[in-house]
Amino acid sequence: MKKIVISWLVLSLFLFPLALSAAASEPIQGGTFRYGLTVNPRGMFNPILATEQYDTMINDVVYDRLLYIDENLEPQPQLAERWEISEDGLSITFYLKQGVLFHDGVEMTARDVEYTYKTMLHPRYTGVRFGNFRVLDGAEEYRDGERDDVPGIEVIDDYTIRFSTNQPHAPLLVQFIYGILPSHLYRDIPIGELEQAAANRHPIGTGPFEFVEFRTDRHVMLDAFDDYHGGRPNIDQLVYQRVADDAMPIYLRQNRVDFVPIRPEQYPEVARMDDINLYIYEALSYSYIAFNLRQERLADTAVRQAMKAGFDRDTYVEIIMEGFAIKANAPVPQASWAFTGEGINSYEYDPELAAQMLADAGWAPGSDGILEKDGMRLQLDFLVPEGTRTTEQMALLFQQNMGDLGIQIDLTFMEFTAAVDRVDAREFDLFTMAWGLAVDPDPYPIWHSTSPWNDPGFEHARSDELIELGRATMAQSERAEIYREWQQVINQELPYIFLNYAVVIGAMNERVQGYDRDPGPLGPLVGRHLLREIWLPDGQ
Amino acid sequence: MVQGVPVFLGFTFLLFLLINLAPGSPVSHLRGVPDLDARTLEQQREHLGLDRPFLVQYGDWLASVLRGDLGTSFDSSRRPVAELILDRMPATILLSVSSIVLGWGIGIPVGILSARYQHSVFDYVITFLAFVGVSIPSFFFGLVLLYLFALQLDWLPAGGFFLAGEAFSVRGLFGYLLLPAVTLGLATIAGVARYMRSSLLEVIHQDFLRTARSKGLTERVVIYKHALRNALIPILTLMGFLIPTIFSGAVVVENIFAWPGLGSLAIQATHERNYPVMMGINLMFGVLIFLGSIIADISYALADPRIRYE
Repeated sequence: MKKIVISWLVLSLFLFPLALSAAASEPIQGGTFRYGLTVNPRGMFNPILATEQYDTMINDVVYDRLLYIDENLEPQPQLAERWEISEDGLSITFYLKQGVLFHDGVEMTARDVEYTYKTMLHPRYTGVRFGNFRVLDGAEEYRDGERDDVPGIEVIDDYTIRFSTNQPHAPLLVQFIYGILPSHLYRDIPIGELEQAAANRHPIGTGPFEFVEFRTDRHVMLDAFDDYHGGRPNIDQLVYQRVADDAMPIYLRQNRVDFVPIRPEQYPEVARMDDINLYIYEALSYSYIAFNLRQERLADTAVRQAMKAGFDRDTYVEIIMEGFAIKANAPVPQASWAFTGEGINSYEYDPELAAQMLADAGWAPGSDGILEKDGMRLQLDFLVPEGTRTTEQMALLFQQNMGDLGIQIDLTFMEFTAAVDRVDAREFDLFTMAWGLAVDPDPYPIWHSTSPWNDPGFEHARSDELIELGRATMAQSERAEIYREWQQVINQELPYIFLNYAVVIGAMNERVQGYDRDPGPLGPLVGRHLLREIWLPDGQ
Repeated sequence: MVQGVPVFLGFTFLLFLLINLAPGSPVSHLRGVPDLDARTLEQQREHLGLDRPFLVQYGDWLASVLRGDLGTSFDSSRRPVAELILDRMPATILLSVSSIVLGWGIGIPVGILSARYQHSVFDYVITFLAFVGVSIPSFFFGLVLLYLFALQLDWLPAGGFFLAGEAFSVRGLFGYLLLPAVTLGLATIAGVARYMRSSLLEVIHQDFLRTARSKGLTERVVIYKHALRNALIPILTLMGFLIPTIFSGAVVVENIFAWPGLGSLAIQATHERNYPVMMGINLMFGVLIFLGSIIADISYALADPRIRYE
């Protein structure tokens, strides 16, 4: 963390005069902005069917949503002018902007919003977003074919639509980030066949950029939409250019891309280039080592706490991650309004304390030096998905640190998909993976005792109670209180060893103006939101 | 051709079996989709046809392939497999053919010179370089080339293909093609040169060449007219073996240079257990390799008048 703070400070000092001069001049129209991607989109340009993040990147600029997420992870109006949440917390009414046009000139209305969200609930819908909206009134019955309408989606007039639930559900609001589909192009296609709709390949949305072309494994080209309801973008053309992963610094040097996220190993090389600005920001994701709590030896809290305190995460973060990581102790990202450091044990590396904790809990070395207690042995199989150098090195360091405590770690390296199989079958003692997090801090999908992603088998009455309460409480300040206590519970119980929050390094060509020079967790372009506002001084 | 039918059935069945036996499932990558419930996951499996027995899945796949349909990709794009492959095929073929041309175009003359001037300094240098060329891993060699010619000298682009909006030109095409083709071709150049050298040396010492020399022919005519034609025959056999190596090498090289060929699709499909795409690509490679060996057979006949196909 230290290293990041330092480099960030240096960068911001360096940027200060630039930021002043940028503020002094007016945006110029024109030019092509190239956004580098190491993986090209697959070509599903339909926001309710796409699951690949690179397809979603395109969808985010082609299709506007009812709301977007700002740099503080708060929802802001986009196609909705405003919204109202009823006092009982059971309904959200969106008031849409009037006169918003799709790229083909047709006006967007509440019917399009209804079509988009109702389709995700349809029995024949082939995408995976049903779960996000299952709380809507009548959604389950509609999906199961027990009724033909969804009372939870109600078009009041052309510019007003109301969504309602049977119980208050706070995480619902930020789910309205799926792009609004042009129902006039989709309506006649049976929902079971939507995947093959021609419009998925040549999308028409209400976003700031119009789709021009998609070349497999090469690029996606978009033009500024002149009639964009929020004002035409400053740049004329936006290109998502596929780049070779290992050659990203060369692409920057050759001015072949304006922005590209780079890897930590590439940082020193890119930092030496004078016309590139680097930004380091928190990613909404963290890495962990999970325990299988179904095993009696791992159900012992003292063992888990000792293992965390006995793991030298300073070496992991400073040496293995080269400083590009932030130590984590609970599962809420620092950027979130729900994050807390209060009452959170940071489990600083202390091998003596760790050994003492194990001894106090009754674990003693057996004849071969491995800790034993009541016939149980601390010899653990550690499942590690292969292919990432830092993860593999972390596993080796962990093995060594645990060995010092008398815990034998046997490493099993496995290809990721095969490892997922083992995790799903609950055939592991320990495994390591990472979670990408949603904007809302609701821990339900991963941590509730009934949730399918609760891999450790964590069951804790107070935790479940807080999770349920947090969902049903609408006021953010009250939710923050609830999640503070919940994070304290998790930090104490440690179903995972939380390793680190990930950070992203974004490299931006100096010529680019009009973006967030002090980026929050969504980066200098605030997701993709600022692509509309950036401008290029020479208009080229 | 009649033999082809059981070969095709056996090849595709084994492939289908192996692909299905690999641990992990095509829906594994949905792990982490928030609020995904067991029911949706089950629906996905049904939608992809994974709930049916193995033999039924194979039978359906076979039936649709015979109708000329390679199926639909399992990933969320749901594009036809044939389209995914055809989109990338030209780039892979261009790269592979270029590297074959490089490999043979450079390897054969170098091998000949090396044999003709056996034990000369040139021969030793070539032997040494060929050894390095065969041993150096392509992912490393590719990065070295990128570092030198793109980063340090800035003569060539950093990989990929024409940028969006960049006008096509033959010169530009060479710029993009050169580094990947050299990277992929290096091992071929080295291998062909070594084979050519030893094959020619073997022929040079045979009786019929002694006869030719004793007739008073110049060494030049002896080597290029009489020895070479005989020495080339084993090299042509080598081509049949090298074609599969070149295609599998292309998968790695395409990834280093972001070359828009089948490489990244093949790797992606394997990681995601995208069965129809894996089947399609392997089938395609099978066909190409088959064509390659036919070409090798035909060139045999051309090079050696004793071989005739009835």
